[in-house]
Amino acid sequence: MAPYLFKRLGQSVLTVFLTISTVFVLIRMASGDPAAAYAGPLATTEDLAKIRAAFGLDRSVVEQYLLFLKGILTGDLGTSYSFRSPALDVVLDRLPFTITLAVAAILITTLVSVPLGVWMARRADTGRELGANVVTIAGQSMPDFWSGIMLLTVFAVLIPVLPASGFATWGGLVLPALTVAILQIALISRLVRSEMAKNLTAPYLTVARSRGVSERALVWRYAMTNSSIPVVTALGTRFASMLNGVVVVEVVFAWPGVGSLVVRALETRDYPLIQATVLVTAALAVTVQLLVDLAYPLLDPRVRLGKKVSA
Amino acid sequence: MSTTHPGPARVQRSGPGPSAVTPKHLARAKITRQRRGSRLKLWAGLVCTLVVVIPVALARVLPLPGPDQQDLASRRLAPFTDGHLFGTDQLGRDLLSRVLHGGQVSLLVGLLAVVVSGLIGIVLGAAAGYFGGWIDTVVSRLLEAQLSLPLLMMLLLVVALFGPSIPVITFVIAIAQWPEVARLTRSLVLVEREKPYVAAARVLGLHRLAILLRHVLPNVVKQASLVVLLLLAQAVLLESALSYLGAGPQRPFATWGRIISDGQDYITTSWWMVTLPGLVIVALVVGVNLLGDGLRDRARRRKVSTS
Amino acid sequence: MTRSGSGPELSRRTLLRWGAIAGAGVTLGPLLTACAGPTGTPGPGTLTLALNRSLVSLDNKLNQFDAAVTVQRGVRQALTRVGQDLKPQLVLADRFELTAPTQWTVHLRDGVRYSDGSPVTIEDVSTALKMYQQVNGSFIAGFFSEFPTVVPVDDATFLLQTERPIPVLDYLMANILVTPSASNRPEELQDGIGSGPYVVRSGNRGTGNYSLSVNENYWGPRPSVPNVQVRFVPEESSRVVSLRSGEVDVIDSITPDSADQLAGLPGVQITRTPSTRVNQLFYNFRKPQGHPLADPRVREALTYAIDGRSLVQDVLVGSVTQADGVVPTGLEGAVKTGEYVYDPNQARQRLDALGVRDLELKIIWESGEFASDTSVMEAVLQMLGQVGVRASLQQFEPGGDILSWRQGKAGDWDVLGNGFSSPTGLAVSILQGMYAGTPEKEQTRDTYQGYVVPSIAAQIADASAEPDAARRARLLSDAQKAVWATWPCLWAFVPNAVLASRSRVGDISLVPTNSYDLASARLEG
Repeated sequence: MAPYLFKRLGQSVLTVFLTISTVFVLIRMASGDPAAAYAGPLATTEDLAKIRAAFGLDRSVVEQYLLFLKGILTGDLGTSYSFRSPALDVVLDRLPFTITLAVAAILITTLVSVPLGVWMARRADTGRELGANVVTIAGQSMPDFWSGIMLLTVFAVLIPVLPASGFATWGGLVLPALTVAILQIALISRLVRSEMAKNLTAPYLTVARSRGVSERALVWRYAMTNSSIPVVTALGTRFASMLNGVVVVEVVFAWPGVGSLVVRALETRDYPLIQATVLVTAALAVTVQLLVDLAYPLLDPRVRLGKKVSA
Repeated sequence: MSTTHPGPARVQRSGPGPSAVTPKHLARAKITRQRRGSRLKLWAGLVCTLVVVIPVALARVLPLPGPDQQDLASRRLAPFTDGHLFGTDQLGRDLLSRVLHGGQVSLLVGLLAVVVSGLIGIVLGAAAGYFGGWIDTVVSRLLEAQLSLPLLMMLLLVVALFGPSIPVITFVIAIAQWPEVARLTRSLVLVEREKPYVAAARVLGLHRLAILLRHVLPNVVKQASLVVLLLLAQAVLLESALSYLGAGPQRPFATWGRIISDGQDYITTSWWMVTLPGLVIVALVVGVNLLGDGLRDRARRRKVSTS
Repeated sequence: MTRSGSGPELSRRTLLRWGAIAGAGVTLGPLLTACAGPTGTPGPGTLTLALNRSLVSLDNKLNQFDAAVTVQRGVRQALTRVGQDLKPQLVLADRFELTAPTQWTVHLRDGVRYSDGSPVTIEDVSTALKMYQQVNGSFIAGFFSEFPTVVPVDDATFLLQTERPIPVLDYLMANILVTPSASNRPEELQDGIGSGPYVVRSGNRGTGNYSLSVNENYWGPRPSVPNVQVRFVPEESSRVVSLRSGEVDVIDSITPDSADQLAGLPGVQITRTPSTRVNQLFYNFRKPQGHPLADPRVREALTYAIDGRSLVQDVLVGSVTQADGVVPTGLEGAVKTGEYVYDPNQARQRLDALGVRDLELKIIWESGEFASDTSVMEAVLQMLGQVGVRASLQQFEPGGDILSWRQGKAGDWDVLGNGFSSPTGLAVSILQGMYAGTPEKEQTRDTYQGYVVPSIAAQIADASAEPDAARRARLLSDAQKAVWATWPCLWAFVPNAVLASRSRVGDISLVPTNSYDLASARLEG
């Protein structure tokens, strides 16, 4: 267990390190000038040179990179140009909003997609299941920005019952979380369906049924337990990727999370802010992924960490 | 995929000789229902796809005003007025014409991206699966790393870096999609590698690369190509998301994402500017997804019944 | 079998359950504390504003975005301010007079104090001036030809002295915000106190949400609205929907289309006033001799291609006026200099007569430079096409790219979509910024798109240092006419400052600089 844990931890750290390094290089290759985005419209060439020097942008990229690495170790990710405060603070100010949205979306997803998937598996290949199947396909075929705007039009414009933007009340969470969940429900319920269909027709279930186990227990205890690994893995992976910022949905609903922050940081060439956002979200996502992996043996006693399942 | 379907076995067993199985039973049998389901999906998918693709392909021929032709006097006309089937936008341009012309780019980008990502994915996936060792380690690590990357952000970054031209956007989407193909190819090659014919070829003294290219890949490509349609659907969605966020070709060029993001400013007065282009995207993507799903179901069943 | 299996399963389940609870606690904990503070529903005593730009600072040393002015002035104040008639009004000073050509005498109002009760001192004013001077790339500093020095006379009286006369110093000082000298630094201040009617109770710079409440120590009459919520909502459509549904009370700097959508809705009122901004399609003045655009006659000929009336009526839905001068004619010292005329035949004939054929123009601009910018550009493209001029568009996302283009370092262009506002309310501020370029400045590409006409620059410099009002007006008028004769723009317009508010909000006096006085706003119901 311990060596495996260390190995996985090492891999996670390496992934985050490579990600952040790639981003570091990419943003410095990109065109655009943070100083020009920072200064007023009347700034002279001389002013800009002074600003660049103040930001440390006149140093070589290698030097900047080393300073940045040193900063990571000391927990100092630099000062955001556009927010004029420590980049890490800005990200941490916004992170709770993204986490809330992700938690809400994954809750809705789980609550809807598991029963839906089970229902579809039990009625596999009937006309009604086909109908549900097509609905889930439609769900995964909608661009999320479009479904977001549509929900917004219906529930904030035509029947103004929910707030359109931001997070001033808990009601503001409903539309963005639903928008994120639509796609996830479509994907997860199809997964639940195929896993459950596989288990519902497995011999062990027939044996259990012949022993008089109730249909309900068959589905929810027997088949479900065995289907849970891929489903939980998928949910965990989805959750992890949401932590990277649900960029489009956050933009549509002016949600003050890290996704909309990233778009803005990119626009203003706010290097420290881009780096801090990527570092924090990538670290978080990798951690969640790691936790999901570590949860395997809890769900399936056959799994020993670090060893392949032979079953 | 190792889904077991007890259906075919039952049908085969009851096939020969007189039996209690009537055509009515057969019609209700699981396999028949499955076949009917996938046929339905295929047809519905084909119809949805063609309803979008044919007009898009014929956009230049159809009797429509140009996509950039403005008429400031007839701004934001509702659908079905003055011969504008989809209405007009904020500059009095025909919305249908813009949607169809924009669709050409979306489809082109989607198709190209699928080809590029397919090539990258098959090459890397096959190499990883067949040769194993450090190649496998590197490819697997890359696949894993991409899962935890802030993908859309990286794509926006690359577009900001190289400018929003069609080749760049295509390339960026291909980058986003290759892991799916690579993962599938890798797992298929892993299975194929252990088959006797590969060992036979090796005994005959064929070069490893030759075995991979001439014997293993042809057996894998067909199965791997089943994901193509699903990738196309994703590529179209990704392209529209990028152009919605502003990473699209220069104005006044219409793209689906941009038409919707422009229309968003008018949602309280002009519903059609967002709704209709969105419905077109949904129709296309649903169609392509249904087609892909139906084909996959069919292939899977065929595999089960032959094994 | 089932019973024996339930032992470890139960423990697994309990573990999972505890894990889930712990996870939820960890993730939601910080959020709940974050939400407890600034956010909440608009109550009877709370005015909610939605800004389209994040308020990153309550200071303006570096940049002055229209969106921020209202809230900044609610917390920090200057000696004067620019009023609705674009004339300076006294705020922290109760006397601000020109007592000699290079000397102003200022007296601080009795009893002016900060929110902590400490008095505003002369030292604070002098420090503030120094700090604005030291900031790199300050927008405000650009309007000062030189910074005055503060010479104290007594406890509350001081002189502002300059080398050359600055006859409009009372206007300029409206933008110098005064802060206690001990905590003032040459950067945009993130915290600290001011003398304004409101204090920041809590704020989240990351999300751009601020919560203000009345300054209990305010030296002036107590404002009638006790609390102000400031929210950052970047999407224009979201702001419109939020105002419609009553989630927010005021949205400012709205686009013509939003105003059009909101006009006539019950419970919503729209306030407009001509602004101090001029938006232009400015020609590139760095074209080599012999290029068609280097010839003012070609520049003039092209203006006939632009259907200004259509742009104003249809694209900008009547919320702008076509420019009839080189600066907004409402500004102090501005004069009418001419009209843009739409006559495509004339444009074609003139271009033909000048031997200009197959002209191709590249129009560049930065997203969001002015409201409905993309629609205007796309419409202009079409209009140029109708006189046989092929144009292409290049839109830049905000990110600093456009600056190197403007300076001619990254690529060639012909027409730039750009806006220029005068936060001072003075015509001379815009003239200095755009048309006073010198060959020395051009060496570092620091002139306005390469506009270098030494005679005009000299006229503007003379005017800005002329203490005699009548003579100054004449000099300025001459300079503006000279500028117009060089045809610097393909087209230009003056937008209205437009603000939409719920009808429960009263007495919002929008001033042309696109801000309003929070202290005078009222809330009914």
